[in-house]
Amino acid sequence: MRGSRYLGLLVAASVVAAACGSSTVTPSAPPPTQAPTVAPTTAPVETATPAGTASAVVSPGPSSNGIIGGKLVIDNESGSTWTCQFNPFNPSVSGTAVGFVYEPLEFVNALQTNADGSNKVTPWLATGSTWSPDFKTLTFTIRDGVKWSDGQAFSAADVVYTYNAIKGDPALDLNAIWSADGGPLTNVALQGTNQVVFTFSGPAQTYFYYVADQIPIIPQHIWSKLDQTKLDAEANTAPIGTGAYLMSDCSQNNIKYLRNPNYWQNTAAAPVPQIAEVDYPSFLSNTPANLMLAQGQAQWGAQYIPNIQSFYIDKDPTHRHYWFPATLNVSLFPNLKNSLLSDVAVRKAISLAINRADVSQRGESGYEPPANQTGIVLPTYNAWYDKTIDNTTFDLAMATNTLESAGYKKGSDGIYANSAGKKLSFTIKTISGYTDWDSSLSVITQELKAAGIAVKVQDEDTTVYTPDLQKGNFDLAYGEETGGPLPYYELRQMLLSSNIGQTNYSQYNSPAVDTLFNNYASASAADQVGIIHQIEQVMVTEYPVIPVVEGVDWYQYDTTDFGGWPTPDDPYAQPPVWATPDNMVVLTHLYPLHP
Amino acid sequence: MRYVARRMGLFVLTLWAALTVNFLIPRLMPGDEATAVLSRMKGVNPAALHALQVEFGINTDQNVLVTYFQYLGNCLTGQFGLTASRVPVMTDILDKLPWTLALVGITTVIAFAIGTMVGVLSAWRRGGRLDSILPPLLFIVSTMPVFFVALVLLYVFAVTLGWLPIASNYELGSTPSLTLGFASDVVSHAILPGLTLVVVTAGSWIYTMRNNMVTTLAEDYVRMARAKGLPGWQIMLDYAARNAILPNLTGFAMQLGYVLGGSILVEYTFSYPGLGYLFYTGTTNHDLPLQSALFLVYTLAILICVLIADFASAILDPRTRDS
Repeated sequence: MRGSRYLGLLVAASVVAAACGSSTVTPSAPPPTQAPTVAPTTAPVETATPAGTASAVVSPGPSSNGIIGGKLVIDNESGSTWTCQFNPFNPSVSGTAVGFVYEPLEFVNALQTNADGSNKVTPWLATGSTWSPDFKTLTFTIRDGVKWSDGQAFSAADVVYTYNAIKGDPALDLNAIWSADGGPLTNVALQGTNQVVFTFSGPAQTYFYYVADQIPIIPQHIWSKLDQTKLDAEANTAPIGTGAYLMSDCSQNNIKYLRNPNYWQNTAAAPVPQIAEVDYPSFLSNTPANLMLAQGQAQWGAQYIPNIQSFYIDKDPTHRHYWFPATLNVSLFPNLKNSLLSDVAVRKAISLAINRADVSQRGESGYEPPANQTGIVLPTYNAWYDKTIDNTTFDLAMATNTLESAGYKKGSDGIYANSAGKKLSFTIKTISGYTDWDSSLSVITQELKAAGIAVKVQDEDTTVYTPDLQKGNFDLAYGEETGGPLPYYELRQMLLSSNIGQTNYSQYNSPAVDTLFNNYASASAADQVGIIHQIEQVMVTEYPVIPVVEGVDWYQYDTTDFGGWPTPDDPYAQPPVWATPDNMVVLTHLYPLHP
Repeated sequence: MRYVARRMGLFVLTLWAALTVNFLIPRLMPGDEATAVLSRMKGVNPAALHALQVEFGINTDQNVLVTYFQYLGNCLTGQFGLTASRVPVMTDILDKLPWTLALVGITTVIAFAIGTMVGVLSAWRRGGRLDSILPPLLFIVSTMPVFFVALVLLYVFAVTLGWLPIASNYELGSTPSLTLGFASDVVSHAILPGLTLVVVTAGSWIYTMRNNMVTTLAEDYVRMARAKGLPGWQIMLDYAARNAILPNLTGFAMQLGYVLGGSILVEYTFSYPGLGYLFYTGTTNHDLPLQSALFLVYTLAILICVLIADFASAILDPRTRDS
């Protein structure tokens, strides 16, 4: 759906076609998201779950009813037909493999934090983990009694194999955890029979998420027989995993998953999973995907639906719901190498001149909530937000005052210019095909004009846009980071100086901020919150990035036949199906309401 | 024989030129597929990027000429490597090929048949009711962009009336089988895209056929047939249409290029998973191997059709052999 603007325009013009959404809609490439969690048995990582204490069953919600049956249909625009490959390390197909068939060691919930701000963590294939006091050694205790879906026993040796296989084929190391790929991990080894020890070159608390949550464990007895340097190209058409579902049948148009009767969480008293069949159709575009939801033929949606109230909800308001949780910012990135934008007064004026609530309403139909200048996504990360901070979001008078007191003079065309006569006139680069961004930017353009700043929007294909941003070839850019389960990840991507050329698009460079980020990995939970508060202060005084709205996950669900959905009251996992491994938590929570 | 040899020589030369252009164009486009794949994931590790680039054959260190000759060799052997989603290119193409072949093949034949018949009839009754309505109407439609016709049909028959499915090649979730139910499912999904292609291409057949007929009807041998008192339908079909159809046969091959191009837009609009849609996704994903292979398939299809048309007209019309 993204592709050429030409086609995009045609479709947009076509009445039937849906605008496509912001990056969270991206089908085949799940944004880096995290996993959510579930269970009450969890402990924050730093305090560590004593090995072996976690109970075997992590999933079913309190209201599960023991019924097994039903067919759940997933609705998520994939943009292409299925290739029927299930390599969990191939980003093009991993969304249909991880969470269904393959599972990680632990589950980190981006949407739920403990009292101290850390993510809620649920042990999964591991029963728990412990950090050494210097956060350089992480020990997982591996769960007993888990079986691969071909009947062989799962063991700690499979875990050790998986991480070393990634080391041997760098194309698998998508999160760059190994030292050879720029990460801190130096060794993964077996300890005793059921423990796996990870050794890092430095304090590595922040890598827990990548190591524990983002890496699916693969069976050694199958993968070790393949060419170890070409594992990334393995088709894996008959995936063998530990997951709740078995891939039963795949065609270009549909993948059919059946309940794994030998799933390790399954007991006679409390069956897991409870839904007998899950169908995952491929949708080439939003229109048919949205129609299928509207007609009630699919129950679990991850779709951007224009006019969702009348198109979807109103057809059955008692059973149909949506929830768009936010975990990221969609921001304006000022190029700090630009002679005008390097002036903090200009950046401050831009931030003050944008009425974020208005952009949210008119640009995003209110689906994406307004962001704030601290960069903390609210209400998701309330625990990290410094409530004492002066965080004025919209004040037109203050914006123009800021410019005037910095020496800018308004010209006859209503646009400010500096003392040398250089006008505050900028280009904003954005991604073509993201129609909601385009409408947000047209609102922003009007608002900035009212403040005496002229901007022009320039749409670019992602393959041009991304390198342009990385090389600093822009004035202002509208975009987002991949983020992670806590504000730290997104802020670090935005502001760390060594990320210049990669994700630090503004090219912000401050040794003090670098030190803050570097201290974070070895800090206690309370100190981590303190560090983030200091960075929020930097955000509201230096305006290195200007958050505008919050990026959300599109999610619709239908309670006619199934219960156990993630909701705002019980945000036990990130709800869209492409969020892996959160999908495994959702799949093990859902249950049929009728036999 | 000399004619055949000359045609074959020209065919090989054209093919080589097409292959070379095919090699150059995708490489002149900005961006590469590894970046495209990874830009959807962002925050990516440079080691993974390099590994992907090598895998996709985007090895910047390699001499362009070496790459070019490797490419020519691969074209001959059908080795196109892996797509951006790491499926062998040929597998991907062969999966989608039957759908497009059936859709485009059948609609082209239908459009040709309808266009030719209407052309014959309207020339036979020049100025009649049929002649004053159908040819102008279809001609106007045929000048409209394919996607516009597709969207109008989609809006009317699928969205507003709900008679026909809105997308895909068969009902999602159903399993392909050799049953009547599945066959009718496939047909109902093919009606709208097929109708679009028919409506858009039939117009040009009508016009050329009608004009040829008008010219042929003025020939002496037609007057002779009338004088002999042959029945009207026999004169129309055996004497006039049979001769008038010759230029259309050649045009039939040329038309294929237009239909294949149109099928990209049609398949996109109807989310029909054929070659056209594959071409579209391949282009947007900067999937070089896929683009090259598809371009080659399209080029070959058109060149072969032109070659066949050349031979056919040589057989049917001896005059072309000497020229």
